[in-house]
Amino acid sequence: MDKTGGKRTLTYLEQLKQKTLNQENYGGVIKEEDAKIEVRDCPECGAGRAFNAGLTTCAYCGFKFMDVRLSDGVHIKKENNS
Amino acid sequence: MFGLFNKKYHNPELLKMIAETQDRWFVFLDKLEIRMYEMCTAAMPELREVFEQDTDPYKRAHGRMLMGLRGQVNQMRKKADQAKEENIFCFIDQATSQLPGFTSSAGREYHEKLITFRMDCINRYDAFEEKMTYYTSMLDNVAGEQDLEAFYQAQLTVFESIQNTFVCKQCGGNITIARIFFIATYVTCPFCQTQNTFIPSTGAQMVLHRARSLAEQRTAHLLKNYEESKPKSHHLYQQYLRCMFDEWNKIVPDMTAENEKFYLRLLQDHAHSINHY
Repeated sequence: MDKTGGKRTLTYLEQLKQKTLNQENYGGVIKEEDAKIEVRDCPECGAGRAFNAGLTTCAYCGFKFMDVRLSDGVHIKKENNS
Repeated sequence: MFGLFNKKYHNPELLKMIAETQDRWFVFLDKLEIRMYEMCTAAMPELREVFEQDTDPYKRAHGRMLMGLRGQVNQMRKKADQAKEENIFCFIDQATSQLPGFTSSAGREYHEKLITFRMDCINRYDAFEEKMTYYTSMLDNVAGEQDLEAFYQAQLTVFESIQNTFVCKQCGGNITIARIFFIATYVTCPFCQTQNTFIPSTGAQMVLHRARSLAEQRTAHLLKNYEESKPKSHHLYQQYLRCMFDEWNKIVPDMTAENEKFYLRLLQDHAHSINHY
């Protein structure tokens, strides 16, 4: 409210600034995270996922970690299929 | 005979209309330029403030505001284009259709006046477009050039300090991350062969996003050499592009094969473009 008591009309720039700041980013706020290591154990038998037996199934009980067939990517190669 | 070839064409009304239309066109563009100047100069500090306040690593709030302002400038261009078509070109077409033929001595003078009028209006529009480009680039550069080299070196230093600190989640054995990764990757434990997943820090992931800009910063002097060459030298462009991609590949070696295809496409596009003046 300004001195006259009337509703202050926002200029175009102020409106634009307010809108851009208030608009939520797609995917939400990006959190700063440190580097970390994770591992996926077999939910059936608890064994760790062994590299030598391939990445798609558990080397011990045959549980399928993923249904897709891996193809050559940056770090994953098709040889990594079980 | 009959004095046919000595007939003069007089149309003071048309001369008046030409002068008035030209004046109106010039005043209209002057007003648009003043509005553009006012908006852009007032927006610069606001835009810089938003850039500095924006905590998003992609600076999306700043990007949105910049796009909004560029949209306003484009609206002015559209208005000017529309006015040019409706009030200048249509007027010229209409006036031309009422004049005697261009080859006749009677109409020649007026045709030439219309051509001069057309060129003056177009030249004024070109000056307006130049200003528009100037203000747009001013808005684009308001955030200034970021020191991406310092950011990259900081990420390398951080990685060096942590690369030997990881342990296998299965057996607790030490895992050394051989080199910096920018996306999640599998790392095999040398003791129990368990496949661990290494997830890089947010900062390291951002390196991938900024790698091209950093490579461009490193090779900006070569791009300048190319841009200053007259006529534009394809050889200099190729030299710049090769060095830029080499730098990019040094930063992100994993994408070398894909980048090479991109390099060849850009080079081909440039060779087929017509802007070599």
